[in-house]
Amino acid sequence: MLRPALRRQRGRLTAGVAFLCLHQAAEAMVPVTIGVVIDRAVATSDTGALLLSLAALILLFTVLSLAWRFGARFSTAAKEHEAHLARVGIAERALDPRGQRSGLRDGELLSVAASDADRSAAAIRTAGAAAAACTALLVSAAALVMVDPWLGAGVLVGVPLVLMALQRLAPLLTRRSEAQQASLAGTSALAVDLVAGLRVLRGVGAQHHAAGRFAAASHDALADTLRAATTKGLHLGLTSTVNGLLLAAVTGAAGWLALNGQITVGELVAVVGLAQFIAEPVQTLGWCVQSLATARASARRVAKVLHAAPTVRPGTESAPPPACERLVLTDLRYGTLTGLNLRISAGETVGIVAYDPRDAEALLAVLAGTVPREDYQGTVRIDGVPAESLRLAESRQVVLVEPHDVALFEGTLRDNLAAGAAGDDDTLMAAVRVAAAEDVLHNHGLDQVLTERGANLSGGQRQRVALARAVAAAPPVLVLHDPTTAVDAVTEALIAERLTTARREPPQATVVVTGSPALLRATDRVLVLDDGRIRAEGTHDDLVAAEPTYREAVLR
Amino acid sequence: MTRSLLPTATPPQTWAAIRAEFARLPGLSAAAAALLIAASAAGLVAPWVLGRLVDDVIAGTGAGRIAYWAAVIAAAALAGGALTAAATAAAARLGETVLARLRERVLDRALHLPSATLERTGTGDLVSRIGDDATVVASAITASGPLVVSAALSVILTAGGLFALDWRLGLAGLAAAPGYAFALRWYLPRSAPYYVKERVASGERTQALAGALRGAATARAYRIEKTHVAHVAACSATTRDLTLEVFQIYTRLVARINRAELIGLAAVLIAGFLLVREQMATVGAATAAALYFHRLFNPIGMLLLESDTVLQAGASLARLVGVASLPAAPAAAGTDPAVTGGDLEVVVAEHHYDEGPVVLADITLRLAAGSRVALVGASGAGKSTLAALAAGIVAPTHGTVRLGGVPLGELGEVRTRQRIALISQEVHVFAGPLRDDLRLGRPDASDDELLGALELVGATGWLRALPGGLDTHVGEGGHRLTPAQAQQLALARLVLADPEVAVLDEATAEAGSSGARELERAADAATAGRTTLIVAHRLTQAATADRVLVLDRGRIVEEGSPDDLQRAGGRYSELWAAWNG
Repeated sequence: MLRPALRRQRGRLTAGVAFLCLHQAAEAMVPVTIGVVIDRAVATSDTGALLLSLAALILLFTVLSLAWRFGARFSTAAKEHEAHLARVGIAERALDPRGQRSGLRDGELLSVAASDADRSAAAIRTAGAAAAACTALLVSAAALVMVDPWLGAGVLVGVPLVLMALQRLAPLLTRRSEAQQASLAGTSALAVDLVAGLRVLRGVGAQHHAAGRFAAASHDALADTLRAATTKGLHLGLTSTVNGLLLAAVTGAAGWLALNGQITVGELVAVVGLAQFIAEPVQTLGWCVQSLATARASARRVAKVLHAAPTVRPGTESAPPPACERLVLTDLRYGTLTGLNLRISAGETVGIVAYDPRDAEALLAVLAGTVPREDYQGTVRIDGVPAESLRLAESRQVVLVEPHDVALFEGTLRDNLAAGAAGDDDTLMAAVRVAAAEDVLHNHGLDQVLTERGANLSGGQRQRVALARAVAAAPPVLVLHDPTTAVDAVTEALIAERLTTARREPPQATVVVTGSPALLRATDRVLVLDDGRIRAEGTHDDLVAAEPTYREAVLR
Repeated sequence: MTRSLLPTATPPQTWAAIRAEFARLPGLSAAAAALLIAASAAGLVAPWVLGRLVDDVIAGTGAGRIAYWAAVIAAAALAGGALTAAATAAAARLGETVLARLRERVLDRALHLPSATLERTGTGDLVSRIGDDATVVASAITASGPLVVSAALSVILTAGGLFALDWRLGLAGLAAAPGYAFALRWYLPRSAPYYVKERVASGERTQALAGALRGAATARAYRIEKTHVAHVAACSATTRDLTLEVFQIYTRLVARINRAELIGLAAVLIAGFLLVREQMATVGAATAAALYFHRLFNPIGMLLLESDTVLQAGASLARLVGVASLPAAPAAAGTDPAVTGGDLEVVVAEHHYDEGPVVLADITLRLAAGSRVALVGASGAGKSTLAALAAGIVAPTHGTVRLGGVPLGELGEVRTRQRIALISQEVHVFAGPLRDDLRLGRPDASDDELLGALELVGATGWLRALPGGLDTHVGEGGHRLTPAQAQQLALARLVLADPEVAVLDEATAEAGSSGARELERAADAATAGRTTLIVAHRLTQAATADRVLVLDRGRIVEEGSPDDLQRAGGRYSELWAAWNG
């Protein structure tokens, strides 16, 4: 997962790393240069040397500044481009027509696409930072050894050892700060949740109890935060003590060497400055190790989605010419279905009443083409051809299942209605009329804007817009599931009548899985699905007269 | 919808509120300040010692001197470490305690927002303040706070140290200040709008993804997967490009900071050179000054780079303080007006929202204690508005609502809510254990009482199927309840809250017909013995009521017992015929 990303971003990464290394090398040279200025110019009062060394300082800062600017830009660009690719890849897999078997729920997929894609791509930047830190260490080492081999060796061994020892505290620190972040996030989520349900709380006068519940959670979060803060304080204090002691040792040793004339005053300054400076790259390396571990975990989650197998294996055949019987199910066994037979012809409207909702769910899943062939027995034929041998786009063009759980999208009403049809406005308006959804048009007509999930519509309006969308798509076989549960009785009767009329000319097949008497009465025949198979068949009125169970199930 | 009716505090108000919080913790505030200053001061010892050491080396003193100076640095390191640890802990305790108190008060005020304000503002703005703003402030205080405070202190103290060393060297160091100021003035106005745009874009990206994922089944059915992937890709690309653009600006800020560093460092070195040449300062002093200045690089850079965070946190803080400064909920103190009986009387001459059209007119509605009245009518007839008026959530423009003879205005919001419960169409399952959700109705309820309430509303069946019973985590991120189950939960809360009057405007629609019937039974059980006003979305609910009111365009057009109305051959009987197919 990480390796192809590094390969893809090779160009940006190489340039980024080169510039960042140059930057770190320049940073290492700053204390050395200060030492040189003190030595050659300040201590000697040599104006020429001052000008020369100032020029060198300017050059050094120019290199330092430009190198960081370009290095950081290249490596950030590499990271952002890679995160973008991962996000798009995840969206493609999640929306694959064949489905996907990652086993992740929507919320998890969203978090993989949002955070894990970013975190795994951050590995690219980490790699650059690690290379730069190594360069800084090498340059510092060279400078130190040139001043005094023994002193240099001491600093080079001492500083990393001490920092590594401090690093041992890191897991504790991470644990505490993770606990703190988790409890803070929990508190924030609780607050948001309570406020989101404010009207519900107010309805039963529970605001006060809710505030009390939040205060308790907030106290717990505070306790966690303070525990983390104490640990962090100890770590900071310890780091600063150890760095100070190290500085004392280096200063003592370098001072003694300077006193004996083995190194100059400027070199003394440079050594002390470098001893402080190399703490930075060493810490960066420690951070890189941790950050790579996080990136690897995130990359694994991203890969799990990107490499998820499709749910169904569709066929390769094109749709055959329309048969008289558009849809035939023979001895279908799937889930709670135990040998279901169903024949749907063009031009008829068939009602299905399922006594057990699980039977309806199973039937609709098979019709939607989201069930792998090996998971169900029996046959599903579309225009006489086994459904699994057809291309998905072709089979779904013939059989359209509009789920009960309505999903509308952000955009105009026109965009939503035209989802399944390249229809002109007249077609769309006709569909709106069939679904009795004229009230949604308001003042803006088809340009009416729907917010996310159609949240600015009422439940009934959403349901009718979805119905209009299905009607506008005008599929040869339209399967609807409880399409009018949120619609009042008068409107429901209107929809039943308009829908059957609209689907009759040209003759198209319609299947309505419902318990609504208004809709059932408008159908040509009604099938009763009980115990996994069709138990009775007839017109709505006949069934009402003949079957007490049916009467019980559909009359309200 | 740009109207935000929730207040935002002005900067002086924000400061005053924060100062008041610090003043409530005087000991801790003083200790934290003293420790922070002492810890930063300890950091100044090393460069100063180094300067003295350079002078001693040049003067050629003995090795004892060197050992002495090394010991001084070591002692300062030990003291500085201890002080840093204590200061960090104290500052965190102070900041976090203030933060916790603030967030508790903000939520308390938000939850007790007067109904009138809430109906006008909606919950959107509140949710974003409680969620986003509180998170921004919390992370600024927790993550950036200690860094910024200690960086600021060490800048001030180091600058002080530079002046104490030699005022002329101090002045030279100040040469960098205009450069830093210029960098910041260049950066902030450029970056702020970008950050706003970036946040908006990343919100859109998340929304596009969430929308596509949620609608995946529909996208497949209509074969529009590619359109949605393309939309996600476009949103993602926009965010990426904005991120890169704002990063470009950031890198140019860093370049400007580098320039200021160079100017300051060069000025200090030149000043040192001149002073040493004129024998007005020692080489050691010049060295110490250069090292002091080099030490300033990190904290100043940090301050400038965190300036965005600080500004953002300030803006968020102002929005939080704005909510926190709302008046506290009036306690149910004072004399309790004598409410006699549970009769509810709604008399509305006219009602409209803001300047909008009249939604209700000439309504007189009397519910005798313990009786059950159903409201029937097409969508838009004003049923929900009448329910909200009867529950005292909305006050009628012209009219009065009385409970037991007392106008709700006199009864006050708190007492009204204790006596009249409203279950609206808004369904919400509170995230957390099922037990906590139910206890919002009655906090001291025992498990037996909770189970009793659930049994009454017919939830025992699915309760038994829950993996952890009452401990099951429900709501956002937990076990998902069906709309019908969520509605039963709402009814169970009502049973536990045990009000005299129940107003039900719940949506049974999403439940499908068999589920709806169960919910009707649950609602009957939950409201048994209470004065009940029920908005009948299904006519069967009307059929079992004592009295039915048919609303049409804001007026009562029929009223009577369900049987009479059915026989009367009016609007109600028409509806009844259509309903039964």
